Amino acid sequence: MNWSIERKLPLFVTILLVVVAVVQLTIGYGEVRQASRALADKRLPLATRVMADLFQTGQGRARITALAKDSAIVAFLRSGGRRGREPALAAMRRLTSDTATNAGLELRDFGGHLLLRTGKFAGADSVLISPGKDSARYGPLMRQDTTLFIAIAAAVGQEGTGGIVQQVARLALNERTRKTLTGLAGGEVTLLLGNASGDPWTDFATIVPAPPQGVLTSPVPVRYERGEPKRAAAAPVAGTPWMVVAELPTRTVTAPARAYLVSMAPIAALIVILGALVAWWGSRRLTKPLVQVTRAAEAITTGDLEQRVNVQRDDELGRLARSFNTMAEQVSRSHHHLEAQVAQRTKALEGTNAELESFSYSVSHDLRAPLRAIHGFARILLEDHNAKLDPEAQRLLGVIDQNTRRMGQLIDDLLAFSRLGRKEIASARVDMTELARLVADELRRGEGDRNGLELRIDSLVPAHGDRALLRQVLSNLLQNALKFTRGRPDTRIEVGSRPDGKETVYFVKDNGAGFDARYVDKLFGVFQRLHSAEEFDGTGVGLAIVKRIVQRHGGRVWAEGKLNEGATFYFSLPDGEN
Amino acid sequence: MQPNGVEILLVEDNANDAELTLRALKQRNLANQVHVCRDGAAAMEFFAGGAGPVPKVVLLDLKLPKVDGLEVLRRLKGDARTKAIPIVVLTSSREEPDIERAYELGANSYIVKPVDFEAFARAVSDVGLYWLLLNHPPQ
Repeated sequence: MNWSIERKLPLFVTILLVVVAVVQLTIGYGEVRQASRALADKRLPLATRVMADLFQTGQGRARITALAKDSAIVAFLRSGGRRGREPALAAMRRLTSDTATNAGLELRDFGGHLLLRTGKFAGADSVLISPGKDSARYGPLMRQDTTLFIAIAAAVGQEGTGGIVQQVARLALNERTRKTLTGLAGGEVTLLLGNASGDPWTDFATIVPAPPQGVLTSPVPVRYERGEPKRAAAAPVAGTPWMVVAELPTRTVTAPARAYLVSMAPIAALIVILGALVAWWGSRRLTKPLVQVTRAAEAITTGDLEQRVNVQRDDELGRLARSFNTMAEQVSRSHHHLEAQVAQRTKALEGTNAELESFSYSVSHDLRAPLRAIHGFARILLEDHNAKLDPEAQRLLGVIDQNTRRMGQLIDDLLAFSRLGRKEIASARVDMTELARLVADELRRGEGDRNGLELRIDSLVPAHGDRALLRQVLSNLLQNALKFTRGRPDTRIEVGSRPDGKETVYFVKDNGAGFDARYVDKLFGVFQRLHSAEEFDGTGVGLAIVKRIVQRHGGRVWAEGKLNEGATFYFSLPDGEN
Repeated sequence: MQPNGVEILLVEDNANDAELTLRALKQRNLANQVHVCRDGAAAMEFFAGGAGPVPKVVLLDLKLPKVDGLEVLRRLKGDARTKAIPIVVLTSSREEPDIERAYELGANSYIVKPVDFEAFARAVSDVGLYWLLLNHPPQ
């Protein structure tokens, strides 16, 4: 994938926006959640306190205390239950009528025997609470099957002549009560009532298990599990052994936080999308000139020097584009200048080349003709007029004959050498082994039945070059080897090759006359000879031709040798297409 | 053979070369019916009109006064009446462009005159022998 700036920038901005949005939502959610929990924690104790105050039934206690001091009751008890029964019952009926179904009022002696009773409800046939000496007391919440009731009792008179008034009242447990109370506390607050010491507890509709002690004893709201996670606060009802608990489901507490998330998340997503779009647009605006400059630079690299950038801006990018255009202009101008120069030089060179060509043509044609005449007519003198010539004249004509031949050879070699400089070099794979064998076979035929001639050709590394020219190289080197081993009893000539880095080195080795290593520099020069013409014939151009061919192939030539111990001629050719 | 005709037309401006050529042909007894032109114009005149004798071979030098050898070659090979006549280029030039151009124009052979007289004589007499005795031209 191509990670260009045009893509990287919007991606980076989008990732940044997403991170910011996620962080923002997380922090916001946390804060709202904490705030609504704090609100709930304030509201719950308030509710419990309100309820606790509501259940503080001071009026009930005052009424039963007043009844205990009623003269009719006191008189009835003092008489041992024998007199004043009706007035006592009348006093009791003022508190609890005979028809009340949810309450009952009893008068018992200290022994617990029931003396009088009004109301239809009876919790149990016993004293439920031992009353305090001088005031009424509420007892704990009590349970009888599915009924919950409370009892309040007060003592009447003295030991022996007194007794106990005891009122029981059934708690009306139904959905309406629960709803009314919940409505009072507000919202989803559930109110529970029960004993501080444990069961039974009620939510005013049904009997429920008692909350854990941890909830009842904690001074601040705590979290606990009842069907679902809830937060709850507890408060005692003053003057009674009861407690009130107000609780809220945790989900209600966290609802605002969730609502915040639900409303904020789409907004955040919208911001991210908008931001990404803006970043994409901005990045395109920013990178478009850059892309233009890049494309133009690439075009210039591939040779289209007329490429320019069209960016109309005043900022850094505009400056970059203008600088680029100026630079391209300069490059183009100097390129054209160079091209013009090259064309001019080429023209000059072509002129020189043409001159050279006509010169060598003249040499080829005009020098050879007179030479041929000298040679031809000298030969005719020797052949047709031999009888008229004395031996000295014949010898002198022989010298003329020899030198004209030699001159002809020199001209031919010189022309061959100068042609090499102008010839195009073809480049193809050349099987050097086959080529060397071909040359060797040809030369061997020319040697006739030369004794003790051993010409070994190894398997040679293939070369890249001009087959005809490489053939000339091998031919010249082998001819030299054969020439300089002539007259030796055993001739060993070896052709080999070895790879050497990025080139291949070929060599022709002989055990012939060799050369004085001091003159190695002169070996490859034109017309340079290290042996006299009497010793070995030749014009001294062969190795110069070898050197020129190898150099035009990008290679090198060199030689090693020792006088009378043979010579090795090396040439290197670069590998492959270069 | 045409008893009184011309068998070899030698176009050669250099008198020495012409003499040497004739001598080489004479040694093989081929010099009797040789006609020598000293320049290209003379060679063209030789064929002008088409009424003259038709040689069995033309030995043509390239570097000639007036009309040069390649031009002579071009005209002879371009003319329906003379294009069947074998033309052997016999020149001192061994320049590649000359050789290529000569063959392009339809030369039948291209021979570089050797400096060495024996080699030269051998080349000339071989050419004469081949074209006069061995070659079988269309009738």
